[in-house]
Amino acid sequence: MGIFDKLRGKKEPKPRADFSNVQAGSSSTAAEPPKTSPLPDIGFGPSAGTTGSATTGTSGQDQTYVVVSGDSLSKIAKRYYGDANKWPRIHEANRDQIKDPDLIHPGQRLKIPGA
Amino acid sequence: MRQSQKVSLSICLALLVLAAACKAKTPNETNSAPGVRVTDVTLGRSIGGDKSISDRTENFKPNDTIYASVATDGASSATLRAKWLFEDGQVVDESTHAIAANNRERTEFHISKPNGWPAGKYKLEVFLNDQSVETKNFDVR
Repeated sequence: MGIFDKLRGKKEPKPRADFSNVQAGSSSTAAEPPKTSPLPDIGFGPSAGTTGSATTGTSGQDQTYVVVSGDSLSKIAKRYYGDANKWPRIHEANRDQIKDPDLIHPGQRLKIPGA
Repeated sequence: MRQSQKVSLSICLALLVLAAACKAKTPNETNSAPGVRVTDVTLGRSIGGDKSISDRTENFKPNDTIYASVATDGASSATLRAKWLFEDGQVVDESTHAIAANNRERTEFHISKPNGWPAGKYKLEVFLNDQSVETKNFDVR
């Protein structure tokens, strides 16, 4: 009896919760800090003076963005490139998960090609 | 003799005033450093366009998206980090967001789980430039 009581009272260790499919994201009213280029643009090469935009000479690394409610590709393009008309660039980079460019879902992780 | 006492007294007084001035300045220096400081962290179920919480709560349902809105003040570049923890310290998620703040800004972090959050107690720890600045507890029922 005592043994059975002991066995009944013995709690198994609580299994750890599975958070492997947690989707996360962030956004801010603040601007993104300026990216520093590993190589300074000294005015030579094909990129020099071609656009005159603030992104000239940046490293052009891809970023990941998690879609939140109310987002659209043009909004995201505006945020990352400063130009809503550049949304096809994001669409192209995410063809595998965006069939209809007017339809993106909160939680989707989009690849944002470097500017 | 009296004259020298007066001189000594004057020097002592000057030193005391100087020490008091230095002491009073120290906390101001740390607060008014040209960096960014976190002024508020709120939790809720949804955010507005200004990144502030529009449905504030600390009691969530399993299918809620959990938002944290971090208010900052100061004009400088900084990195905010949100570390979400489950009751036993298990890390749920950790996200960072770099900002170039211009006075008052708000940064939101959010987490969701398609198959629902396990019920229990959770904690959000907010870091500013890798220093823990705020902790918020919340639960899922």
